[in-house]
Amino acid sequence: MTQLVADNETQGLSGPKRSVSIGVRVRNSRASGVLLVVLILCAWELSARTGFVQSTNWPPFSTVMATLVVDVTDGELLPLILSTLWRLARGYGIGFAIGIPLGFAIALLRPVRLVVRPTIELLRPIPIPAIIPPLIFLLGLGDSLKLSSIAFATLFPVVLNTIAGVMAVEPIYDQVAKTFGVSRWTALRRVVFPAALPFVLAGLRTALGLAVVVTVVAEMIVGQDGVGYYLVSMQFAMRAADMYAAIVLLTLIAYLLNRAFILAEGRIIRWTRLREASGDAS
Amino acid sequence: MMRAKDRLIIVAAGCSLPAVFLLGLEFASRNGWVNPTFLPAPSAIFATFAQIILTGAFFAPLVHTLTLLFVGYSIGCIAAISLGVLMGYSRAIYNLFEPLTELIRPIPKPALLPALILFLGLGAPMEITIVALGSFFPVLINTVQGVRAVDPVMIDTARTFGHKSPAVWRRILLPASAPYVLAGMRISLGLALLLVVTSEMLSGNGGLGDAILSAQRSFLVKESYAWLIVLALVGLVLTAIFNWTEKRVAFWQAPQAQ
Repeated sequence: MTQLVADNETQGLSGPKRSVSIGVRVRNSRASGVLLVVLILCAWELSARTGFVQSTNWPPFSTVMATLVVDVTDGELLPLILSTLWRLARGYGIGFAIGIPLGFAIALLRPVRLVVRPTIELLRPIPIPAIIPPLIFLLGLGDSLKLSSIAFATLFPVVLNTIAGVMAVEPIYDQVAKTFGVSRWTALRRVVFPAALPFVLAGLRTALGLAVVVTVVAEMIVGQDGVGYYLVSMQFAMRAADMYAAIVLLTLIAYLLNRAFILAEGRIIRWTRLREASGDAS
Repeated sequence: MMRAKDRLIIVAAGCSLPAVFLLGLEFASRNGWVNPTFLPAPSAIFATFAQIILTGAFFAPLVHTLTLLFVGYSIGCIAAISLGVLMGYSRAIYNLFEPLTELIRPIPKPALLPALILFLGLGAPMEITIVALGSFFPVLINTVQGVRAVDPVMIDTARTFGHKSPAVWRRILLPASAPYVLAGMRISLGLALLLVVTSEMLSGNGGLGDAILSAQRSFLVKESYAWLIVLALVGLVLTAIFNWTEKRVAFWQAPQAQ
């Protein structure tokens, strides 16, 4: 199973492997791109070191990375990282705990669809940071405000993808389940849910990226702790190296979360397909 | 007759949830079940909203926000489509820029705001830059995929029939990848709106984001909710305009899932 996921990874980047000549292999390698990245980082380093760009806002790349390592290892950043992740996890969790059942209800029950869906379409285009100021009056500046904003942002991609996924289930699956006298609940659990799962997961992945963004925004605007708040404080304190270190850190968090999700997604959907293929559904 | 009745049911059902919510809130607020200082009655909020509209107070912030959004979004989309087409078409260019793209893309864009503020200050250049950066990546990724998804047989066929490169671009590559590009632009539009509001909140130099946060900081509760309505309307109208345009530009493409 692990190997299959790994195969998907390589295929996602450069397509199926073919036997190619050395010349083609050199041309197809990403060496030029890696070189470009190295050159840009060197230019950053040199421009700061030689005083070509003279600014306290422009620390050399090596200083930024060293600052990151120091800030993380001396324990200054660790509690902030944990508080950001914990906030993100709770807001995201609330969002999808509401979003998935709501999506199923909208897709499966016509009355719910008629009543709820227009409201969702009405609320969806609201730029999420805009709900923060009015929410401050209701919830204060604490965590419930941030959790609500993150959950609100998570909700829409999850609901809409769940609806699309359930609607896209082949009617024949349901008919087969009915023919075999499977109960409505079992059919839902073992036929509709696995079939809709790839869509649901796609929605959850979109939502995860958005949730990270909203977590950072909320911490920046009404922060008391978290990496987003740290970032803004470092900007105010003119500690540029620490500020860049926080940006690198947030990027790493976002990247690793996305990677982890893609890995998990590959496994879960693979499991779904196996179950379907082996005719396990009742 | 039947269809008119069906339509009436659909509209009534769709309106019922907001109506019940607003009426419940109105009732709760008037009877003091919720503190009207923090959650004013919807009628009072709508009165403030009407006042903002009628006095024209909405105009300057709206123009400010829309200008930044339009300029930043256009720069981001045009740059992304240009680079995306090249990266989709040429393997060498793809290899040159792919690692750099993958390095910058995962940055949560609002995190760049403090850095941009240090370099560009609190004004329009900073706000436009962040909107352009945020719009760039979804469009880039989709454009690369769109150009790659073009059936090579179509290109070869066109070449066989003696079409020169410009015609192949104009007639095949661009139209065939348009639905992908538009899907990317849809994601970018939402992100651009989020970023313009956030950057206005942080810079406090005018615009709807500044208006809504200033209202909150001055404890103007009703105004704060009224500006939220304005921003929601901006989002709705921009989405509607986008849908309308997409239908005309990529009319041959079946509507896509979210």
